[in-house]
Amino acid sequence: MYKALVIGGSAGSFQVITRILSSLPKNFPLPVLLCLHRLKHVRSGFVEALSIKSTIPIVEPFDKETIKPGKGYLAPANYHMYIELNKRIALSTEEPVNHSRPSIDLTFETAAQAYRDKLIGIILSGANRDGAYGLKKLKQAGGLAIVQDPNECQVKTMTEASLKLTTVDHIFTTEQIIKFLLNLK
Amino acid sequence: MNRYELGIVDTRNIIKTLQDVYDYDFKNYALTFFKRRVEKIIINNNLKDADGFIRKIETDKGLFEQFLQEICVENTEMFRDPSLWRVLKEEFFPQIVPGNGNFKIWFPEVSSGEELFSTAIVLKKLNLLKDVQFIASSISELNIEKTTKGLFDPKKDEVNEANFTRIYNEGDLSDFYSHEEDKAYWDTSLIENTKFIKQNIIFDDYPKGVKLVLFRNQMIYYNQILQERFTKIIYNSLVPGGHFIIGNNEKIDYWNSDKDFTLINADEGIYKKKLV
Repeated sequence: MYKALVIGGSAGSFQVITRILSSLPKNFPLPVLLCLHRLKHVRSGFVEALSIKSTIPIVEPFDKETIKPGKGYLAPANYHMYIELNKRIALSTEEPVNHSRPSIDLTFETAAQAYRDKLIGIILSGANRDGAYGLKKLKQAGGLAIVQDPNECQVKTMTEASLKLTTVDHIFTTEQIIKFLLNLK
Repeated sequence: MNRYELGIVDTRNIIKTLQDVYDYDFKNYALTFFKRRVEKIIINNNLKDADGFIRKIETDKGLFEQFLQEICVENTEMFRDPSLWRVLKEEFFPQIVPGNGNFKIWFPEVSSGEELFSTAIVLKKLNLLKDVQFIASSISELNIEKTTKGLFDPKKDEVNEANFTRIYNEGDLSDFYSHEEDKAYWDTSLIENTKFIKQNIIFDDYPKGVKLVLFRNQMIYYNQILQERFTKIIYNSLVPGGHFIIGNNEKIDYWNSDKDFTLINADEGIYKKKLV
């Protein structure tokens, strides 16, 4: 019933996201939209590092690329990544939001507009508040909101900010997130 | 924390107003982007909502000019993607500019000017600036005024300097700008040989005989229809064998586009117009 999964993370999220991507079945039924804070001037290396263990292909999409199930889309360095209503990626170099480009808020908010109640959003470990507003918009649009258990996070700021703003559906450890995703049809 | 959010119907009404009143057609701009820019103007000008925006812009030419400037997103920084500028500095310009006659470089949307001034600085340091002619166009009169004066945001000094040191081991970017109170200015002698053109939105009056077009991260604000239309305008402006540089996450990808252009550097988005 869900059509897409969107994940946001910052400081302390790399290992978590690697574990998640290495646990997904090869035929995972949803596209995975990844907005992770990263060094803006380092363009190469990140998608390669994520790809090493991932069971699904991960790309840094081109502008207007069509989103397909079973594939991961990583917001490129120094671009915001929007999801258009026609389920294509749109990139942007507009001003940073929450000092971030890519901004997790923007990817979540636009994904929520495109996928409405068919969207799952997960906020992981991170050191600023980016993502909290986006998760709220996702929940308001009828999506399913999940936050990594702050007790497990290397840096709690992002998950705690999200929990403060939104009554989420689940607070999950990494293990529980993986188990949940494996049960999706 | 709560922002004003424009609905789809409101957005369509705004596009229609701009078409009816100013004869500017924005319906082929990328939708999410367009909405965000209008939302920003509504908030910055305390216009409350879409109706407030429409009522004001119908009669206020100044607000329309401000809108045109907002819709041309600022370049994020000088020398964005230093690896491209290293290619231009070390291979591209030294191999292609000398002995190539009047070397025309077109910036179809000059926006806040960083691409133009970055190019000028690289050429100046190669002692090739005298061999080129810049054509800088914009749909925004305000952008042209600002760029002509060399005005830029001093908040960008740090990122600009950092990028410069990723390209040059010595020298200093501050050789090319000065601060006056809270403002910063590029050395405008860098753009002495620049022709500025105020474009209308359909770009029906574009330059010809161009040898290089720099148009990075601007077509991402268009939908695919407008992307194709602009790419064809750029194709027509270029001489055969001329080059076209777009952002590293952009792609020329319309039906039969491989008959028009060859991708010669995939990492940096450098295309070459085919000879026939």
